[in-house]
Amino acid sequence: MLILGIDTAAAPCCAAVYDTDKQQTLGSVVINNKLTHSVTLMPVVSDLLRNSGIAIEDIDLFAVANGPGSFTGLRIGISAVKGMAFAASKPCAAVSTLEAMAYNVAVCDGIVCAAIDARCNQVYTATFLNDNGTVTRLTEEECLKADELAARLSEYDGDIILVGDGAQLVKKAADEQGINTRLAPDPLRFQTGYGVCLAAMNAEQITPEQLMPMYLKLPQAQRELMAKNADAYKEERKD
Amino acid sequence: MERFISDSPEETIETGKKIAAYLKAGDCVLYTGEMGAGKTHLTKGIAEYFGSTDDVTSPTFALVNEYDGTVPVFHFDLFRINTLDDLYAIGFFDYLDREGIMCIEWSENIPELAAYLTNRCGVNIVKTGDNSRIIEYIPQEELC
Repeated sequence: MLILGIDTAAAPCCAAVYDTDKQQTLGSVVINNKLTHSVTLMPVVSDLLRNSGIAIEDIDLFAVANGPGSFTGLRIGISAVKGMAFAASKPCAAVSTLEAMAYNVAVCDGIVCAAIDARCNQVYTATFLNDNGTVTRLTEEECLKADELAARLSEYDGDIILVGDGAQLVKKAADEQGINTRLAPDPLRFQTGYGVCLAAMNAEQITPEQLMPMYLKLPQAQRELMAKNADAYKEERKD
Repeated sequence: MERFISDSPEETIETGKKIAAYLKAGDCVLYTGEMGAGKTHLTKGIAEYFGSTDDVTSPTFALVNEYDGTVPVFHFDLFRINTLDDLYAIGFFDYLDREGIMCIEWSENIPELAAYLTNRCGVNIVKTGDNSRIIEYIPQEELC
């Protein structure tokens, strides 16, 4: 089976084609050019397929990272995949952006913490256990302060591998608390189409109509605290 | 804080250019001022300072207008936006990564917003007559 995996949830625009029978990536592209994904994604997919000698009809499964991530980015990736899968009459798979990144480092056994920068020293995060190529989810996806997440990571034994564009934020907080973490090397730390393809192999196949973005909201307590801080700021601006 | 006096829409545009001289890519300008105070005219001055020839109009219905220039200017009106979730759902946070200048009207609707804006300054416009205004520029270090 050939899987086309796409991730536009954050800054990188990623696409890859993975052959599940050969267990091999046939082509993979990551572009980090600061242009909006609406400009980059379709040329990337088109060139990737052409250069890999694959016709769009050969793709058996269209996979996409459906969140958490940037609102615009998610909508671009999901709309593109919906359109291609619908036109090709093929199924889709929605995978977590965080889980897909955990698959980047599936060869490294141990705890993997995926974190996407959610601004204000917060990250969207989930933690996984990688064991002999298998990725098992340990925590649900949530939005946490970096130091709060670091404190939770202290419960695990051994080194913890960090992936995602929030990895450095978490590493800093973990260092301050004396918790051992390691950054995944650059090519594996951020989103890849490869990670999306691997995660999609274990995901449910759905129709293009069923494919939806998963936005993650800030926890209520945090909102209230921020509203309180903001009220104080508002008072100040009145003067 | 720096204070400017304007006695016409044209002078408000000129004031916008003076304020723009303090701004750089990535900055957010938070306006306060009632309807008709001149926030759009001020934004026109800022956009013109950065070489834009685009029409500058109120983004009340569009929510955001983009003006191309040496530094792009993103002009937001958050009058109808009340929560962080709504803000996320109009793609606001994606604009923060585009290295432009964010001119934001009615940011006070979302008190939590300020914490998300790394580089911000304030501009208060006070109506003192039909055409006269006091315009105050408040740099970040004086905000809080």
